[in-house]
Amino acid sequence: MADNSVAAYSNLSGSANVPSNIPDLGINSYTVINALLVLALAYVAARIAVFLLTALSERVYEHRITVKMTIPIAKFIIYGFALYHIAGSVFQLSAVQLVAFWGIAGAAIGFGLKDRVAEIVGGIVIVLDKPYQVGDKVTIEDYYGEVRDIGIRATRLVTPDDNLVSVSNQQALNQILANANAGSQEMMVVIDLFIDSSSDASRAMEILRDATVTSRYVYISDKRPVTILLKDYPFYRRVRSKAYVYDLRDEFPFETDVTKRAWDAFEAEGIEPPKAGVVDLGGGSAIDS
Amino acid sequence: MTPRFEEEISLIKKVIVDFGEGRRSNLAIISDPFYGESELMDRVEGMIEDVCIRINAQSLIQSLEILKDSPGKIVIVEEAHRLYRRTIGGFDAMNRFLNMLLFSDRLFITTWNSASWRYLDEVLGLGRHFPQKVSLSKMKTDEIREMLLSGYEEGELTFLEGERGDEEKRKILKWAGRKKALMGHSLEIPYPMVDVGSIRSHLDRSEKKSPDEVFFEKLARISDGNPGVAELLWKEALDYPEVRNALKDPPSIDLSREESFALSIVLSMGSAKLAYLSDVLEPLGISAQNIANLLEERGLVSIDGEVASMRAEALKSALEHLRRLRLVW
Repeated sequence: MADNSVAAYSNLSGSANVPSNIPDLGINSYTVINALLVLALAYVAARIAVFLLTALSERVYEHRITVKMTIPIAKFIIYGFALYHIAGSVFQLSAVQLVAFWGIAGAAIGFGLKDRVAEIVGGIVIVLDKPYQVGDKVTIEDYYGEVRDIGIRATRLVTPDDNLVSVSNQQALNQILANANAGSQEMMVVIDLFIDSSSDASRAMEILRDATVTSRYVYISDKRPVTILLKDYPFYRRVRSKAYVYDLRDEFPFETDVTKRAWDAFEAEGIEPPKAGVVDLGGGSAIDS
Repeated sequence: MTPRFEEEISLIKKVIVDFGEGRRSNLAIISDPFYGESELMDRVEGMIEDVCIRINAQSLIQSLEILKDSPGKIVIVEEAHRLYRRTIGGFDAMNRFLNMLLFSDRLFITTWNSASWRYLDEVLGLGRHFPQKVSLSKMKTDEIREMLLSGYEEGELTFLEGERGDEEKRKILKWAGRKKALMGHSLEIPYPMVDVGSIRSHLDRSEKKSPDEVFFEKLARISDGNPGVAELLWKEALDYPEVRNALKDPPSIDLSREESFALSIVLSMGSAKLAYLSDVLEPLGISAQNIANLLEERGLVSIDGEVASMRAEALKSALEHLRRLRLVW
């Protein structure tokens, strides 16, 4: 009895001729380790590429954003090449196996990974369509900050409070998105100062203009002019400066510099802030100048 | 010797002739510091001595009355950029001057620092007030050579070869390190750096040039074609009758934003009083004296009493640094 069962087991396990409908994908421990090694190398290569491109972007200061733009492209190329290599060289998939692989992959995507795939596709769309780039200042879903990374899965922003916000690429594409500089090194900064209605508004405009154009952060050219605007409200006036910083990372230091020096000069010339409680801090509308 | 400023002089002559015929076009002569614009103005003044008045803008800051009382029909205003200060209210004197230009029937020939000109052109639209503009051009290697050797006979000077030791030891590829935090540990990651100066030095050696050719090419490069800088470096190299090729490339500048801004203020004036630096920097919470001392320590400015001046040999690297930071446009 025992001999019979051993023989039956031998026949089953040793049979090379057992008919099966499942194609042999040739996956064994060697190929898995090889694939993992390729992915690890791709990860290291991507980190090195990011490090070198970031260092280069700071050296060629005036082309910082342009160089940083290439970071996500480099990452997609490296990971894309790694996946191609794994499929082609490590697993050496034939046409039949590829069909089987995509069949399984399709089922997996359908059941559980569709969001991940949508994020990856979203990342590719962001890199190609460029609604924003690494280094841009954007507002996505109420979060404002500098784009630090466009990853395979998510975009990372650093807010002015130094919080790291991750937004999935798919979500970022589906949101209404505001990009403050759109790939440019310079960025417009709007500075509002509110003064009492009885104060000399013309002089306030002159002072704000001087404070803006003498700032160490300002950048002025034909395409990047300085504009000073005045708006009258029932009990106060708003003096607004619209000017560009030469490095968008200086947005807040620029605002502070201009505001501080302008208010020092306002005080010296008797220009007063509005009386308490009259300013509506609700913010301007989108068509507000 | 080829006389300098021939093109500029012929344009100025044309502007003066046109003025004589009733067509007034105020002229701006724009240059980096040390270009020798005073020498050019000496020659212009020599041509129109009887009908001109020459004045430094410094004396116009308080009042323009001095011009109203003077008899000349042509006014030469030197260092016109000194009429503005980079502070709130610092454009008043400049605006008064520009308004006067609009209503005056005199011809104004003015000299400007190029950094200040570009800044003021964007802020005040200077270009509209000066229909004629001349930028003093860089000198080429041959022109610098001709200028500096004009007082010597051929063969009078002996050009010594540069000290090869240190240059040859320089490697083209160097390794630099950058510290990076990884899983709570600080790691120094090495990365390769190409030494451009070393490549240039190797190429110079392989071309088998004579010592004087090597000297003047290097002089033109380091001075960036600026005659004033070239002359200063020449004086340092000349140990009559020998000329030592000990010219060194200016070091790269490593300054903070505030220090760079202070340097841009000195550069845009050529030289600036410490009191003026204080007016600009104190509202920012920066000590002008400390920054001036630091810039002097780095070899970028020299302080003589109460005045900080750009050092000629640092001009090229300072300009490159400030343009890169977009503090000079």
